[in-house]
Amino acid sequence: MLAYLARRLILALLTTWAVSVLAYVVIQLPPGDYITSYIAQMSASGSFVSLQEAETLRQQYGLDKPIWVQYMRWMGMVMQGNFGMALEWHRPVSEVIGDRLWLTMAVSGAAILLTWLVALPIGIYSAVRQYSVGDYVATFIGFIGLAVPSFMLALVLMYLGFTLFDMNIGGLFSDEMALAPWSWAKAWDLIKHLPLPAVILGLAGTAQLIRIMRANLLDELRKPYVVTARARGLSEWHVILKYPVRVALNPFASTVGYLLPYVVSGSIIVSLVLSLPTVGPLLLRALVAQDMFLAGTIVLLLGVMTVIGTLISDLLLMWIDPRIRLEGRK
Amino acid sequence: MATNPTRREFLRDAAVAAGGAALAGALPAATASAQGAKAPEAKIGAQLMGKLEGPELVLDAAKWPKKFAEAPMLAEMVKAGKLPPVEKRVPDEPMVVKPLQSIGRYGGTWRRGFTGPGDGENGNRIVSTDKILFWDYTGTKVMPCVAKEWKQSDDGKSVTISLRKGMKWSDGTPFTANDFVFWYEEVYLNKDLVPTAHPDFMANGKSGLIRKVDDTTVVFEFQDPNFLFVDILAGSTAIGGGQATQAQAGRGMGAYMPAHYIKQFLPKFSSKEEAEKKAKAAGFDGWVSYIRNRWDWAMNPELPVLTPWKTVNPINTPTWVLERNPYYMGVDTAGNQLPYIDRISMTLAENLEVLNLRAVAGQYDLQERHTALAKLPVFLENRVKVGYDVRLDPALNGSDATLQTNQAYEADPEIAKWLHTTDFRRALSMGIDRDQLNETFWVGVGTAGSVAPSESVPYSPGPEWRKKWSTLDVKQANALLDKIGLGKKDGEGYRLRTDGKGRLRLELQTSAGAFVPHTQIAEMIKEQWKKIGVQADVKEMERSLFFTRVASNEHQIALWANDGSEVLFLFPRHALPLDPVQALLGTPIARWFASNGAQGKGPKDPRLISALEMYRSANGKKTQERYKVAQEIWKILVDEQYSIGTVGLSPATMGVRIVSNKLGNIPARQTNAQHARTPCSSHPATFFYKA
Repeated sequence: MLAYLARRLILALLTTWAVSVLAYVVIQLPPGDYITSYIAQMSASGSFVSLQEAETLRQQYGLDKPIWVQYMRWMGMVMQGNFGMALEWHRPVSEVIGDRLWLTMAVSGAAILLTWLVALPIGIYSAVRQYSVGDYVATFIGFIGLAVPSFMLALVLMYLGFTLFDMNIGGLFSDEMALAPWSWAKAWDLIKHLPLPAVILGLAGTAQLIRIMRANLLDELRKPYVVTARARGLSEWHVILKYPVRVALNPFASTVGYLLPYVVSGSIIVSLVLSLPTVGPLLLRALVAQDMFLAGTIVLLLGVMTVIGTLISDLLLMWIDPRIRLEGRK
Repeated sequence: MATNPTRREFLRDAAVAAGGAALAGALPAATASAQGAKAPEAKIGAQLMGKLEGPELVLDAAKWPKKFAEAPMLAEMVKAGKLPPVEKRVPDEPMVVKPLQSIGRYGGTWRRGFTGPGDGENGNRIVSTDKILFWDYTGTKVMPCVAKEWKQSDDGKSVTISLRKGMKWSDGTPFTANDFVFWYEEVYLNKDLVPTAHPDFMANGKSGLIRKVDDTTVVFEFQDPNFLFVDILAGSTAIGGGQATQAQAGRGMGAYMPAHYIKQFLPKFSSKEEAEKKAKAAGFDGWVSYIRNRWDWAMNPELPVLTPWKTVNPINTPTWVLERNPYYMGVDTAGNQLPYIDRISMTLAENLEVLNLRAVAGQYDLQERHTALAKLPVFLENRVKVGYDVRLDPALNGSDATLQTNQAYEADPEIAKWLHTTDFRRALSMGIDRDQLNETFWVGVGTAGSVAPSESVPYSPGPEWRKKWSTLDVKQANALLDKIGLGKKDGEGYRLRTDGKGRLRLELQTSAGAFVPHTQIAEMIKEQWKKIGVQADVKEMERSLFFTRVASNEHQIALWANDGSEVLFLFPRHALPLDPVQALLGTPIARWFASNGAQGKGPKDPRLISALEMYRSANGKKTQERYKVAQEIWKILVDEQYSIGTVGLSPATMGVRIVSNKLGNIPARQTNAQHARTPCSSHPATFFYKA
């Protein structure tokens, strides 16, 4: 068991390193560099940069060096816990991400919670009452939730929110609270703003989860052990919740690996549309601006989260499912 | 506004515009005729464009107020002993502004939207009265600003400026000629900070110098005549653009700096180790990057400034907040110290849709930046309910979507040959239906024409040059193309290459995310060119890739706005290929020009060469002669059609103004131009909240 764990850990480290190299190379692939995109941005916004200024900036940021030198420099800094300066933001990368990380986790956490709270009961219900009116309604809504692009839903809800309820457009705080230091009032302000993004982010996931839950549970319900349990005279809900539901939950454990990076990045497109101050839009911006320190660090963070998530889900599966545990021993 | 159009009137216009967009791909001919049939009523745009107006400076010292008043928030601080009284803060020779409508009230927070740390211009353009000289509200007459007066020597080799007596930095330290000398000697001449001399501070390729006469008198000197220099001091240039704008984002220009504050970060005034240590302690990799951060007004709330508002919460956070400068040099005619508004709060919008929707929802009090012309219908629909007004400020530049033909193109000799043929370019230009473009993408509020600037600009070669070779004439275009040897066509009616390699295909390169939708415009031009048998391929790319391809001389024709070209000598980049950073008419030519022939490759076209030579001669010419030179250059540019103009003189760039009804002293129309630092020429310090 320990050897297994150690092997997985070493592999995880190697994967993370490979991710960092790949991330760096991919970010550098498009032609030009941060200065090119900076010049482009300036000229598109009615300002300008002279040739001399561009060259000075390039030297200042070390962009005139070959890519592998830049990578080694960056890695050297990362090893010491310094992720460099975010070029566009002129602040340390750790601060820029740190600002947004907690908010991202709050939004994603709320979305995941909502998804599970809604999807699991409905999934169970529509499996147990297959082909009932309720099942059809849930299926119908579920498919609509899957089919409607969430950014579109975000735009529509935001416009309706403004025209019907005079709500704030986008963001996670009201204007007065945005600058205030953390307090209960500010936390409450955040909680008041959470439902809209949580619903939008959660909807597609909910629909998907309902379908998976329903299908898994239907498989299990037809198995002989359920019939046996019923024959033994266990109450109907006891039969369903105690055994088939537990087994049907199995696939969820294996998706923990994807959940973790999602929690730290959030959904890029929806966050962008709703103007949520989360990590997703930050990543997009950094990529467009070719800010390799910021983009590299976020991609690295996502990589690490995926690796850790996969590790956790492997361990979880081993723990839940004896069959996997036994194969591991062979 | 008395001239509000009804909603129906507007929707009709919008429907025509939208219909044009939808049908453009399939049926260009049909939409063109539909628009032709439209009744020539007053357009919505004309009704939203008011009279050009603005506040004026009182230059007669006898009329200046003798007693001063201040904002309640400052009066409290004076009472608490934290600030000296207002008489001690305002200069003995203040800048006296006569507000547009009335003396204002103090107070309020001006809410705006911005798009992040790259959007410094959003705030810069509001606080630009820290420029040495400035323009009046029309954008044509040079006015005092930080400098009270200026005098150019008869030989044009020097300009002497007088500063305002008793003027102070935002921390109360006197602002004197020493701050200019400090910038010149310790920053501009410091190779670590400014590695090469700046063209804005040169005459005939030789750098100028700054000399102190006394505490309030500074001289700018050159070895050769530089009559342009007064305009440079007033323009949005590296030397006259003011500290806020020019000492920002890595730049170290602006002609003056707060010596008493900046000194502590320079190795010379402590030691290299000390400066490095300070930088490292603050998390920077060296003193150079640290000092650049320290002199950036948007990043550093501690920096002493001369602007009406100063940063209290920096730009690299979700809310950029500015607060009044208690030492601002401006007062109104009643002696109230400006600005009237206490605070400016800009909230980060992660994307432009959200920013525009927030403007619609009344979450901004005054916003002219990032508001899109295409959103005009939505803005108008909600203005009564939400309580704001929409005002359009047309710009002075000729064309918001300009087809720049690469005059140094080589990769495909056949294409290069045609791009370098005058009649070919003229034919392309006459094959464009500009009215259709205007109706579709400018909601009909632009003006069709060439690249030449507005007639209201002294550089304008005259109204006929707005039309020359720049109106739809399919017959003449076809005749020209047949004449130059492109008469052979394929089965689909497209002209063939003369080297036998099939159809003649031109590449139209566009960039995503411009103020007007260049890609869609190019697609419509492609449809229009079918009638002259020219095949175009539209290639949209991300902005940096767009410029990388231009820099490596790969583009055939690139679309970009020609904003700024209305003040040709202050911002020639979009009119002539002479700045290698952005030379859409050919990077090798710009490199050749900038290096005096040492690098790059000069043009073969004699008229382009003569335009470039005329440009080079302009610095040494007096104002009226300089106007003539500019007019001659524009005549060449329009006659040769190196750059093909489409629709301009429009509010598409920073000209769609959403104004809350609560605000006073807002002009019906303001000059919309880079050199006028719109909206700064309207003196935002005089804007106020009515009751």
